[in-house]
Amino acid sequence: MWIRLLSPAPETNAEDGVPDAVLTQTAIILLLRPLDIWWATPFVLAAACLALLFRPVRRAPLTWILVAVFVAIRIVAVWPLSDNHIYLLAYWCLGIGLALSGATPAATLAASSRWLLGGAFAMAVLWKAVLSPDYVDGRFFRVALLTDVRFADASLVFGGLSREQMAQNRAFLEPLPAGAELLDPPAFVEPPRLRAFAAVATWGGLILEGLIALTCLLPPKGRLDLARHGLLLAFCFTTYALAPVAGFGWLISTMGLAQCRPRQSWLRGSYVAVFILILMYSEVPWTRILADWTAR
Amino acid sequence: MSDPARPPSRGGWRALLPVLLLAVVAAAQVRLAKTAGLSPWKGGGFGMFSTTDDAGRRYVRVFVTAVDRSEEIAIAPSLEDAARRAAVLPRDAELSRLARRVVDRERRYQRQVDTVRIQTWRIEYARDTLAATTRMTREFVYRVDPPAQPRS
Repeated sequence: MWIRLLSPAPETNAEDGVPDAVLTQTAIILLLRPLDIWWATPFVLAAACLALLFRPVRRAPLTWILVAVFVAIRIVAVWPLSDNHIYLLAYWCLGIGLALSGATPAATLAASSRWLLGGAFAMAVLWKAVLSPDYVDGRFFRVALLTDVRFADASLVFGGLSREQMAQNRAFLEPLPAGAELLDPPAFVEPPRLRAFAAVATWGGLILEGLIALTCLLPPKGRLDLARHGLLLAFCFTTYALAPVAGFGWLISTMGLAQCRPRQSWLRGSYVAVFILILMYSEVPWTRILADWTAR
Repeated sequence: MSDPARPPSRGGWRALLPVLLLAVVAAAQVRLAKTAGLSPWKGGGFGMFSTTDDAGRRYVRVFVTAVDRSEEIAIAPSLEDAARRAAVLPRDAELSRLARRVVDRERRYQRQVDTVRIQTWRIEYARDTLAATTRMTREFVYRVDPPAQPRS
Protein backbone atom coordinates (compact mmCIF):
# COMPACT_ATOMS: atom_id res chain seq x y z
CA MET A 1 0.00 0.00 0.00
CA TRP A 2 2.80 2.45 0.95
CA ILE A 3 4.59 1.70 -2.29
CA ARG A 4 1.43 2.51 -4.22
CA LEU A 5 0.95 5.79 -2.35
CA LEU A 6 4.58 6.80 -2.87
CA SER A 7 4.98 5.82 -6.50
CA PRO A 8 4.25 8.48 -9.12
CA ALA A 9 1.04 8.05 -11.14
CA PRO A 10 1.22 7.24 -14.88
CA GLU A 11 2.56 9.44 -17.67
CA THR A 12 0.87 12.81 -17.98
CA ASN A 13 0.13 12.71 -21.68
CA ALA A 14 -1.58 9.35 -21.64
CA GLU A 15 -5.37 9.28 -21.81
CA ASP A 16 -5.65 8.02 -18.24
CA GLY A 17 -3.03 10.33 -16.71
CA VAL A 18 -4.04 13.39 -14.68
CA PRO A 19 -2.77 16.46 -16.56
CA ASP A 20 0.23 18.03 -14.88
CA ALA A 21 -1.43 21.45 -15.09
CA VAL A 22 -4.12 20.34 -12.60
CA LEU A 23 -1.51 19.37 -10.04
CA THR A 24 0.71 22.42 -10.57
CA GLN A 25 -2.27 24.78 -10.35
CA THR A 26 -3.32 23.14 -7.08
CA ALA A 27 0.22 23.56 -5.72
CA ILE A 28 0.14 27.22 -6.81
CA ILE A 29 -3.16 27.72 -4.92
CA LEU A 30 -1.50 26.39 -1.77
CA LEU A 31 1.33 28.90 -2.23
CA LEU A 32 -0.92 31.84 -3.09
CA ARG A 33 -3.15 31.48 -0.04
CA PRO A 34 -1.15 29.74 2.69
CA LEU A 35 -2.94 28.38 5.73
CA ASP A 36 -2.71 30.77 8.63
CA ILE A 37 -1.54 28.57 11.49
CA TRP A 38 2.19 28.45 12.01
CA TRP A 39 2.54 24.74 12.77
CA ALA A 40 0.74 23.56 9.62
CA THR A 41 1.77 26.23 7.13
CA PRO A 42 5.44 25.23 6.68
CA PHE A 43 4.54 21.62 5.83
CA VAL A 44 1.91 22.58 3.30
CA LEU A 45 4.14 25.23 1.71
CA ALA A 46 7.05 22.78 1.55
CA ALA A 47 4.84 20.13 -0.04
CA ALA A 48 3.57 22.67 -2.59
CA CYS A 49 7.12 23.81 -3.46
CA LEU A 50 8.38 20.24 -3.80
CA ALA A 51 5.35 19.33 -5.90
CA LEU A 52 6.06 22.22 -8.26
CA LEU A 53 9.77 21.41 -8.51
CA PHE A 54 9.76 17.62 -8.67
CA ARG A 55 7.50 15.55 -10.84
CA PRO A 56 7.64 12.38 -8.69
CA VAL A 57 6.49 14.40 -5.64
CA ARG A 58 3.76 16.05 -7.70
CA ARG A 59 2.41 12.72 -8.93
CA ALA A 60 2.74 10.79 -5.69
CA PRO A 61 -0.67 10.17 -4.07
CA LEU A 62 0.83 10.50 -0.59
CA THR A 63 1.78 14.14 -1.21
CA TRP A 64 -1.84 15.15 -1.74
CA ILE A 65 -3.27 12.94 0.99
CA LEU A 66 -0.84 14.51 3.48
CA VAL A 67 -1.76 18.01 2.29
CA ALA A 68 -5.45 17.11 2.68
CA VAL A 69 -4.76 15.92 6.24
CA PHE A 70 -2.95 19.17 7.13
CA VAL A 71 -5.76 21.26 5.67
CA ALA A 72 -8.30 19.19 7.62
CA ILE A 73 -6.27 19.65 10.82
CA ARG A 74 -6.30 23.40 10.19
CA ILE A 75 -10.09 23.32 9.84
CA VAL A 76 -10.41 21.50 13.17
CA ALA A 77 -7.87 23.79 14.88
CA VAL A 78 -9.71 27.00 14.03
CA TRP A 79 -13.24 25.53 14.16
CA PRO A 80 -15.70 26.99 13.26
CA LEU A 81 -13.97 29.96 11.62
CA SER A 82 -12.63 28.43 8.36
CA ASP A 83 -14.10 29.69 5.12
CA ASN A 84 -15.85 27.18 2.89
CA HIS A 85 -13.17 27.08 0.21
CA ILE A 86 -10.74 25.65 2.78
CA TYR A 87 -13.09 22.68 3.18
CA LEU A 88 -13.28 22.34 -0.60
CA LEU A 89 -9.47 22.50 -0.77
CA ALA A 90 -9.24 19.61 1.70
CA TYR A 91 -11.73 17.48 -0.28
CA TRP A 92 -9.97 18.36 -3.53
CA CYS A 93 -6.49 17.39 -2.27
CA LEU A 94 -7.94 14.14 -0.93
CA GLY A 95 -9.61 13.58 -4.30
CA ILE A 96 -6.30 14.08 -6.10
CA GLY A 97 -4.50 11.70 -3.76
CA LEU A 98 -7.14 9.01 -4.14
CA ALA A 99 -7.33 9.42 -7.92
CA LEU A 100 -3.56 9.18 -8.36
CA SER A 101 -3.51 5.96 -6.38
CA GLY A 102 -6.08 4.28 -8.66
CA ALA A 103 -5.93 2.61 -12.06
CA THR A 104 -7.68 5.41 -14.01
CA PRO A 105 -6.53 8.63 -12.36
CA ALA A 106 -7.82 11.13 -14.93
CA ALA A 107 -11.32 9.67 -15.12
CA THR A 108 -11.50 9.30 -11.34
CA LEU A 109 -10.35 12.87 -10.74
CA ALA A 110 -12.74 14.22 -13.38
CA ALA A 111 -15.64 12.41 -11.69
CA SER A 112 -14.49 13.51 -8.23
CA SER A 113 -14.24 17.10 -9.42
CA ARG A 114 -17.72 16.98 -10.95
CA TRP A 115 -19.27 15.51 -7.80
CA LEU A 116 -17.50 17.97 -5.51
CA LEU A 117 -18.52 20.99 -7.56
CA GLY A 118 -22.05 19.60 -7.83
CA GLY A 119 -22.24 19.11 -4.07
CA ALA A 120 -20.78 22.53 -3.22
CA PHE A 121 -23.01 24.41 -5.67
CA ALA A 122 -26.10 22.43 -4.66
CA MET A 123 -25.50 23.41 -1.03
CA ALA A 124 -24.93 27.03 -2.02
CA VAL A 125 -28.26 27.01 -3.89
CA LEU A 126 -30.03 25.29 -0.98
CA TRP A 127 -28.83 28.00 1.40
CA LYS A 128 -29.67 30.87 -0.90
CA ALA A 129 -33.05 29.65 -2.17
CA VAL A 130 -34.46 27.76 0.81
CA LEU A 131 -32.63 28.05 4.11
CA SER A 132 -31.66 31.70 4.21
CA PRO A 133 -34.34 34.15 5.29
CA ASP A 134 -32.86 37.20 3.55
CA TYR A 135 -31.43 36.18 0.19
CA VAL A 136 -34.38 35.73 -2.18
CA ASP A 137 -36.01 38.98 -1.01
CA GLY A 138 -32.85 40.79 -2.13
CA ARG A 139 -31.78 41.98 1.32
CA PHE A 140 -28.41 40.28 1.30
CA PHE A 141 -27.00 42.03 -1.74
CA ARG A 142 -28.76 45.33 -0.98
CA VAL A 143 -26.93 45.39 2.35
CA ALA A 144 -23.65 43.80 1.20
CA LEU A 145 -23.19 46.20 -1.72
CA LEU A 146 -23.25 49.07 0.78
CA THR A 147 -21.62 47.68 3.91
CA ASP A 148 -18.97 45.29 2.60
CA VAL A 149 -15.96 47.44 1.74
CA ARG A 150 -14.89 44.86 -0.80
CA PHE A 151 -18.02 45.58 -2.88
CA ALA A 152 -17.96 49.34 -2.33
CA ASP A 153 -16.19 50.36 -5.53
CA ALA A 154 -18.42 48.12 -7.65
CA SER A 155 -21.46 49.78 -6.04
CA LEU A 156 -20.09 53.20 -6.99
CA VAL A 157 -19.39 52.15 -10.58
CA PHE A 158 -22.43 50.01 -11.35
CA GLY A 159 -24.91 51.34 -8.78
CA GLY A 160 -24.51 55.02 -9.64
CA LEU A 161 -23.84 56.08 -6.04
CA SER A 162 -21.59 58.99 -5.08
CA ARG A 163 -19.05 58.55 -2.28
CA GLU A 164 -21.10 60.91 -0.09
CA GLN A 165 -24.24 58.83 -0.62
CA MET A 166 -22.28 55.69 0.20
CA ALA A 167 -21.10 57.21 3.49
CA GLN A 168 -24.65 58.37 4.26
CA ASN A 169 -26.06 54.90 3.55
CA ARG A 170 -23.48 53.26 5.77
CA ALA A 171 -24.48 55.58 8.60
CA PHE A 172 -28.11 54.63 7.98
CA LEU A 173 -27.24 50.93 8.15
CA GLU A 174 -25.53 51.28 11.53
CA PRO A 175 -27.68 49.32 13.98
CA LEU A 176 -29.72 50.80 16.78
CA PRO A 177 -30.78 48.91 19.87
CA ALA A 178 -34.15 47.20 19.41
CA GLY A 179 -36.97 49.72 19.79
CA ALA A 180 -34.67 52.76 19.56
CA GLU A 181 -35.19 55.55 17.04
CA LEU A 182 -32.95 58.46 16.06
CA LEU A 183 -34.40 61.95 16.31
CA ASP A 184 -32.77 62.93 13.02
CA PRO A 185 -31.99 59.70 11.13
CA PRO A 186 -29.57 59.81 8.17
CA ALA A 187 -31.27 59.56 4.77
CA PHE A 188 -31.05 56.34 2.79
CA VAL A 189 -30.34 56.72 -0.92
CA GLU A 190 -30.89 53.73 -3.15
CA PRO A 191 -30.82 54.73 -6.84
CA PRO A 192 -32.73 52.42 -9.24
CA ARG A 193 -29.39 51.37 -10.77
CA LEU A 194 -28.15 50.15 -7.39
CA ARG A 195 -31.39 48.28 -6.76
CA ALA A 196 -31.12 46.69 -10.23
CA PHE A 197 -27.47 45.77 -9.58
CA ALA A 198 -28.49 44.04 -6.34
CA ALA A 199 -31.30 42.19 -8.15
CA VAL A 200 -28.98 41.02 -10.94
CA ALA A 201 -26.42 39.84 -8.37
CA THR A 202 -29.13 38.03 -6.38
CA TRP A 203 -30.92 36.24 -9.20
CA GLY A 204 -28.00 35.96 -11.63
CA GLY A 205 -25.91 34.28 -8.95
CA LEU A 206 -28.67 31.92 -7.90
CA ILE A 207 -29.58 30.84 -11.44
CA LEU A 208 -25.95 30.37 -12.50
CA GLU A 209 -25.13 28.34 -9.39
CA GLY A 210 -28.27 26.24 -9.83
CA LEU A 211 -27.37 25.44 -13.43
CA ILE A 212 -23.82 24.51 -12.45
CA ALA A 213 -25.10 22.18 -9.72
CA LEU A 214 -27.46 20.53 -12.20
CA THR A 215 -24.91 20.05 -14.95
CA CYS A 216 -22.39 18.65 -12.47
CA LEU A 217 -24.79 16.20 -10.85
CA LEU A 218 -26.58 14.94 -13.96
CA PRO A 219 -24.84 12.08 -15.83
CA PRO A 220 -22.24 13.69 -18.14
CA LYS A 221 -23.11 13.60 -21.84
CA GLY A 222 -21.90 15.49 -24.94
CA ARG A 223 -23.70 18.83 -24.88
CA LEU A 224 -24.27 18.79 -21.14
CA ASP A 225 -20.52 18.43 -20.74
CA LEU A 226 -19.91 21.52 -22.83
CA ALA A 227 -22.67 23.43 -21.04
CA ARG A 228 -21.06 22.63 -17.69
CA HIS A 229 -17.70 23.94 -18.85
CA GLY A 230 -19.33 27.06 -20.29
CA LEU A 231 -21.21 27.73 -17.05
CA LEU A 232 -18.14 27.16 -14.87
CA LEU A 233 -16.06 29.51 -17.01
CA ALA A 234 -18.85 32.12 -17.04
CA PHE A 235 -19.17 31.83 -13.24
CA CYS A 236 -15.44 32.36 -12.69
CA PHE A 237 -15.28 35.17 -15.27
CA THR A 238 -18.17 37.17 -13.74
CA THR A 239 -18.26 36.28 -10.04
CA TYR A 240 -14.61 36.76 -9.16
CA ALA A 241 -14.48 40.12 -10.89
CA LEU A 242 -16.45 41.32 -7.85
CA ALA A 243 -16.44 38.59 -5.19
CA PRO A 244 -13.41 38.86 -2.94
CA VAL A 245 -12.67 35.14 -2.67
CA ALA A 246 -10.01 34.38 -5.24
CA GLY A 247 -9.14 31.12 -3.48
CA PHE A 248 -12.55 29.72 -4.35
CA GLY A 249 -12.22 30.86 -7.98
CA TRP A 250 -8.81 29.25 -8.39
CA LEU A 251 -10.14 25.98 -7.00
CA ILE A 252 -13.17 26.01 -9.31
CA SER A 253 -11.06 26.73 -12.38
CA THR A 254 -8.60 23.98 -11.43
CA MET A 255 -11.43 21.51 -10.82
CA GLY A 256 -12.92 22.47 -14.18
CA LEU A 257 -9.54 21.88 -15.80
CA ALA A 258 -9.49 18.38 -14.32
CA GLN A 259 -12.72 17.61 -16.21
CA CYS A 260 -11.25 18.46 -19.64
CA ARG A 261 -10.47 15.63 -22.03
CA PRO A 262 -6.98 15.45 -23.58
CA ARG A 263 -8.20 16.71 -26.95
CA GLN A 264 -10.01 19.73 -25.52
CA SER A 265 -6.90 21.89 -25.58
CA TRP A 266 -8.87 25.12 -26.15
CA LEU A 267 -10.97 24.37 -23.08
CA ARG A 268 -7.89 23.62 -21.00
CA GLY A 269 -6.39 26.90 -22.20
CA SER A 270 -9.59 28.73 -21.17
CA TYR A 271 -9.39 27.36 -17.64
CA VAL A 272 -5.73 28.34 -17.32
CA ALA A 273 -6.61 31.81 -18.66
CA VAL A 274 -9.45 32.14 -16.14
CA PHE A 275 -7.10 31.05 -13.34
CA ILE A 276 -4.73 33.88 -14.30
CA LEU A 277 -7.65 36.29 -14.76
CA ILE A 278 -8.81 35.62 -11.18
CA LEU A 279 -5.25 36.36 -10.05
CA MET A 280 -5.51 39.69 -11.89
CA TYR A 281 -8.92 40.39 -10.37
CA SER A 282 -7.53 39.80 -6.88
CA GLU A 283 -4.38 41.88 -7.34
CA VAL A 284 -5.55 44.74 -9.59
CA PRO A 285 -8.14 46.99 -7.90
CA TRP A 286 -9.96 47.52 -11.18
CA THR A 287 -13.28 48.62 -9.69
CA ARG A 288 -11.48 51.25 -7.57
CA ILE A 289 -9.61 52.52 -10.62
CA LEU A 290 -12.89 52.65 -12.54
CA ALA A 291 -14.68 54.34 -9.61
CA ASP A 292 -11.93 56.99 -9.34
CA TRP A 293 -12.00 57.52 -13.10
CA THR A 294 -15.79 57.86 -13.31
CA ALA A 295 -15.84 60.22 -10.29
CA ARG A 296 -13.57 62.73 -12.10
CA MET B 1 -6.22 5.08 -25.19
CA SER B 2 -9.74 4.86 -23.86
CA ASP B 3 -12.69 4.46 -26.19
CA PRO B 4 -14.38 7.84 -26.81
CA ALA B 5 -17.74 6.08 -27.25
CA ARG B 6 -17.49 4.59 -23.77
CA PRO B 7 -19.59 6.45 -21.18
CA PRO B 8 -17.41 8.50 -18.81
CA SER B 9 -16.33 6.67 -15.67
CA ARG B 10 -17.98 7.49 -12.37
CA GLY B 11 -14.64 6.92 -10.70
CA GLY B 12 -15.67 4.35 -8.11
CA TRP B 13 -15.17 4.84 -4.38
CA ARG B 14 -12.09 6.98 -4.95
CA ALA B 15 -14.23 9.62 -6.64
CA LEU B 16 -17.11 9.27 -4.21
CA LEU B 17 -15.28 9.46 -0.88
CA PRO B 18 -14.47 13.21 -1.04
CA VAL B 19 -18.04 14.14 -1.97
CA LEU B 20 -19.40 11.85 0.74
CA LEU B 21 -17.29 13.76 3.25
CA LEU B 22 -18.59 17.02 1.79
CA ALA B 23 -22.18 15.81 2.16
CA VAL B 24 -21.71 14.66 5.76
CA VAL B 25 -20.02 17.92 6.81
CA ALA B 26 -22.61 20.01 4.96
CA ALA B 27 -25.50 18.14 6.60
CA ALA B 28 -23.91 18.67 10.02
CA GLN B 29 -23.45 22.37 9.20
CA VAL B 30 -27.13 22.80 8.31
CA ARG B 31 -28.12 21.05 11.53
CA LEU B 32 -25.78 23.23 13.62
CA ALA B 33 -27.01 26.37 11.87
CA LYS B 34 -30.63 25.51 12.53
CA THR B 35 -30.28 24.14 16.06
CA ALA B 36 -27.22 25.81 17.59
CA GLY B 37 -27.08 29.17 15.84
CA LEU B 38 -23.99 28.54 13.69
CA SER B 39 -23.52 31.32 11.15
CA PRO B 40 -24.50 29.96 7.71
CA TRP B 41 -21.26 31.41 6.32
CA LYS B 42 -19.16 28.98 8.36
CA GLY B 43 -18.91 25.28 9.02
CA GLY B 44 -18.46 23.85 5.53
CA GLY B 45 -22.07 24.04 4.34
CA PHE B 46 -21.38 26.55 1.54
CA GLY B 47 -23.84 29.12 2.88
CA MET B 48 -21.50 32.06 2.22
CA PHE B 49 -22.97 35.06 0.40
CA SER B 50 -26.48 33.78 1.19
CA THR B 51 -27.37 35.91 4.21
CA THR B 52 -26.42 39.01 6.15
CA ASP B 53 -25.93 36.77 9.20
CA ASP B 54 -22.15 36.61 8.81
CA ALA B 55 -19.39 36.71 11.41
CA GLY B 56 -18.94 40.48 10.97
CA ARG B 57 -22.51 41.10 12.07
CA ARG B 58 -22.30 38.99 15.20
CA TYR B 59 -20.65 39.98 18.44
CA VAL B 60 -20.52 39.07 22.09
CA ARG B 61 -20.89 41.16 25.24
CA VAL B 62 -19.21 39.88 28.39
CA PHE B 63 -20.20 40.83 31.93
CA VAL B 64 -18.36 39.77 35.06
CA THR B 65 -19.71 39.83 38.58
CA ALA B 66 -18.13 39.27 41.97
CA VAL B 67 -18.83 40.37 45.53
CA ASP B 68 -17.76 43.94 44.89
CA ARG B 69 -18.15 44.29 41.13
CA SER B 70 -20.61 43.89 38.30
CA GLU B 71 -19.48 45.28 34.97
CA GLU B 72 -19.19 44.74 31.25
CA ILE B 73 -15.64 44.13 30.13
CA ALA B 74 -14.05 44.99 26.80
CA ILE B 75 -12.92 42.11 24.61
CA ALA B 76 -9.14 42.18 25.04
CA PRO B 77 -6.93 40.99 22.14
CA SER B 78 -6.20 37.78 24.07
CA LEU B 79 -9.95 37.03 24.12
CA GLU B 80 -10.71 37.95 20.52
CA ASP B 81 -10.25 34.49 19.04
CA ALA B 82 -12.49 32.79 21.62
CA ALA B 83 -15.03 35.63 21.30
CA ARG B 84 -15.15 35.26 17.52
CA ARG B 85 -15.71 31.50 17.81
CA ALA B 86 -18.46 32.01 20.39
CA ALA B 87 -20.19 34.62 18.23
CA VAL B 88 -20.10 32.37 15.15
CA LEU B 89 -21.26 29.28 17.04
CA PRO B 90 -22.94 30.20 20.36
CA ARG B 91 -23.01 26.68 21.82
CA ASP B 92 -22.25 25.86 25.44
CA ALA B 93 -18.80 24.52 24.50
CA GLU B 94 -17.68 27.70 22.70
CA LEU B 95 -19.25 30.01 25.30
CA SER B 96 -17.67 28.07 28.19
CA ARG B 97 -14.31 28.29 26.46
CA LEU B 98 -14.64 32.07 26.22
CA ALA B 99 -15.81 32.28 29.83
CA ARG B 100 -12.80 30.26 31.04
CA ARG B 101 -10.48 32.59 29.13
CA VAL B 102 -12.18 35.58 30.74
CA VAL B 103 -11.76 34.04 34.21
CA ASP B 104 -8.08 33.25 33.55
CA ARG B 105 -7.46 36.81 32.38
CA GLU B 106 -9.27 38.41 35.28
CA ARG B 107 -7.33 36.27 37.76
CA ARG B 108 -4.08 37.17 36.06
CA TYR B 109 -4.90 40.78 36.89
CA GLN B 110 -5.84 39.85 40.49
CA ARG B 111 -9.52 40.63 39.91
CA GLN B 112 -12.18 38.51 41.52
CA VAL B 113 -14.82 36.79 39.36
CA ASP B 114 -17.79 34.78 40.57
CA THR B 115 -19.89 34.74 37.43
CA VAL B 116 -19.29 35.40 33.74
CA ARG B 117 -22.38 36.31 31.75
CA ILE B 118 -22.03 36.24 27.97
CA GLN B 119 -24.60 37.62 25.56
CA THR B 120 -24.43 36.88 21.84
CA TRP B 121 -25.88 39.48 19.52
CA ARG B 122 -26.47 39.92 15.83
CA ILE B 123 -27.41 42.74 13.49
CA GLU B 124 -30.59 42.35 11.44
CA TYR B 125 -32.04 44.42 8.61
CA ALA B 126 -35.73 45.10 7.95
CA ARG B 127 -37.09 43.51 4.78
CA ASP B 128 -37.99 46.68 2.84
CA THR B 129 -36.46 49.66 4.60
CA LEU B 130 -33.21 47.87 5.57
CA ALA B 131 -33.40 49.60 8.96
CA ALA B 132 -30.77 47.92 11.13
CA THR B 133 -31.42 46.66 14.62
CA THR B 134 -29.52 44.48 17.07
CA ARG B 135 -30.99 41.38 18.64
CA MET B 136 -29.68 39.25 21.47
CA THR B 137 -29.59 35.63 20.33
CA ARG B 138 -28.40 33.95 23.51
CA GLU B 139 -27.44 34.59 27.11
CA PHE B 140 -25.11 32.20 28.86
CA VAL B 141 -24.08 32.23 32.52
CA TYR B 142 -20.85 30.60 33.69
CA ARG B 143 -20.38 30.18 37.41
CA VAL B 144 -16.79 30.15 38.52
CA ASP B 145 -15.46 27.47 40.83
CA PRO B 146 -13.32 28.96 43.61
CA PRO B 147 -9.60 28.46 42.92
CA ALA B 148 -8.22 25.36 44.65
CA GLN B 149 -6.46 26.12 47.93
CA PRO B 150 -2.88 24.85 48.18
CA ARG B 151 -2.62 21.91 50.57
CA SER B 152 -0.63 22.61 53.67
